[in-house]
Amino acid sequence: MNSQLLSSADGSIDKPAALETSNLTFCWDRLQPTLRFPDLNLPRGEHLFLYGPSGTGKSTLLSLLAGMLSPASGVVKLLGTEFHTSGAGKRDRFRADHIGVIFQQFNLVPYLTAEANVTLPCKLSSRRQSATGESPTVAAQRLLSALAIPQSHWQRKVTQLSIGQQQRIAAARALIGAPEIILADEPTSALDSDNRDRFINLLLGLAGERNTSVVFVSHDRSLARCFHHQIELGQVSA
Amino acid sequence: MKFRLALSLATASLWYRRKVLALVCLTLTLSVTLLLGVQYLRTEVKQSFTSTISDTDLIIGARSGQLNLLLYTVFHMGDATNNIRWSTFQALEKDARIDWLIPISLGDSYKGFRVVATDKAFKEYFRYGQGQPLELAGGQWFDGIFDVVLGAGVARTLNHHLNDDVILSHGGGRTSFSNHKDTPFKVTGILEATGTPVDQAVYISLQGMEAIHVGWESGVAIPGRTLTPERAQRRDLTPSAITAVFAGLDRKILTFRVQRDINQYAGEPLSAILPGVALSELWRLMSQFERALLGITGFVVVTSLIGLIAVLLTLQAQRAHEIAILRATGASPGLIASLYVIECLGLAVVACLTALVLSSLAISILGPWLLTNYGIQIQLRPLNLEEWALLASVPLAALLVAFVPALSAWQKSRSQGFGSPEEL
Repeated sequence: MNSQLLSSADGSIDKPAALETSNLTFCWDRLQPTLRFPDLNLPRGEHLFLYGPSGTGKSTLLSLLAGMLSPASGVVKLLGTEFHTSGAGKRDRFRADHIGVIFQQFNLVPYLTAEANVTLPCKLSSRRQSATGESPTVAAQRLLSALAIPQSHWQRKVTQLSIGQQQRIAAARALIGAPEIILADEPTSALDSDNRDRFINLLLGLAGERNTSVVFVSHDRSLARCFHHQIELGQVSA
Repeated sequence: MKFRLALSLATASLWYRRKVLALVCLTLTLSVTLLLGVQYLRTEVKQSFTSTISDTDLIIGARSGQLNLLLYTVFHMGDATNNIRWSTFQALEKDARIDWLIPISLGDSYKGFRVVATDKAFKEYFRYGQGQPLELAGGQWFDGIFDVVLGAGVARTLNHHLNDDVILSHGGGRTSFSNHKDTPFKVTGILEATGTPVDQAVYISLQGMEAIHVGWESGVAIPGRTLTPERAQRRDLTPSAITAVFAGLDRKILTFRVQRDINQYAGEPLSAILPGVALSELWRLMSQFERALLGITGFVVVTSLIGLIAVLLTLQAQRAHEIAILRATGASPGLIASLYVIECLGLAVVACLTALVLSSLAISILGPWLLTNYGIQIQLRPLNLEEWALLASVPLAALLVAFVPALSAWQKSRSQGFGSPEEL
């Protein structure tokens, strides 16, 4: 195991953990090497930066954390629940209720408006719908304003918007209904540096207001300074 | 809540892909229209066919099979096996159980259309459809020896009008070399279209038939022995024989007894048939074809459904991103699969409704044109149970085949990882 913990915040033991993993491994099939992941422990409301070059299984780790893949061995604990032992249906429901996601690109359902894309999690989870406290539409509009999407764009088809706007809409979708965890898979790789910094500041700021933990994957090490913790995914070993 | 989400997502997705899907939907619409049209025509044609003749209780002719007698008397196909004597007709007239009789005499033609020699009873008692009487579009029923009334189809095809002169031909066939040119007929009436073989014949009096055949005993005209119109007026032209008789009874309950009596008539060998029975027997012969036609149309619908599935499966590749988003947001594989089922079902329902509108429009526009040009009577009517069932079978079949893309989507999205599939 070649991964290393670069830094750690103090006093994190007292807070309930947003996510915890131990001895996590995954294998796509027998011909490919087994991926081994470092143990993670992220207190609620704190943000984690995962760094690693391509091929180190960043997306696979996110799939395991999101419950879309089952580990070959090891433990995934989200919000104190042992996640990996639950059935697929239960993990889908847990993901709808407690996890927001942002992809690298193609983040939005192309045939829905910006606003409908943002309210999508509220339609899949009644918990997140009630957590908005108001109507999902109002919450979505509030988030879109906060993420600097002009009002004239709210009802537009998302395919007409710029990449930067699309990524911010995806952030709004991840944030709506205040999920405990947001998993972001290189969301800034398609953005220029101004847009990138703005995106990260907005995302982390709004996540902080909601006590949401962000797990942020990137190959751009310079972003690490914005996060409480950072971990480097190392070389894959069989 | 999930169902409403699936429904709204499926609708939005269908609308988003409307350009591609409109084409497959059109294919399905056309094939359903065809299916509906064929089924509709089947019942209409059967209806029209079995109501070729109505209210006639018995058709009486020389001894022969029932189909033969029906074919040459009603459909003007083939020839009579023999004639029946005029004295036999007079004996039938005396039978108290018989209400009315229409004598008909066949054998000649006019430019390929049959000449039917009959009398006033034909206009008065002949019924078709649901007991509809014959109506004249113009002029009046024949009165004189050399008057002729044309069926609607004859008048339209040959573009004849009232008071036109008409030369009848001896025997059948379109181009006859022996014409009754000494005795021209005058058109005194033209019948309304009926959609039955009545439209495809011309009607003259029995006396007229007799008059044009004086001097033709050997089969060709013997010069000097044929009649001129003037001499015909002075002659007794009572026929010696006719081809067949349509009969109506006072009391329908006696039909079988009268039929048996006629079949056992001592004067000469006769056959009496019930036209309704003979018509349905004839229809049974043809029903094999219409069933085959319906079967072929069914396959056309199945083919377009397979085309629809092929398109949906092809689109699945394009939808990988949106499926990844939905899955990551917490949608279950079942929800993803249900999108395909709803979309497929939605397309089938849209196709069926469009087909319904399309075929009603076609029937209401083409109906009058078909009647005047082809004598086929088709009217717009509400669908019957069988047709509703046939129409409903299309979305049901769509629902069934929708499980192909739905299952494949379900399977794929179960193993869906985080992010876009190709990144993993």
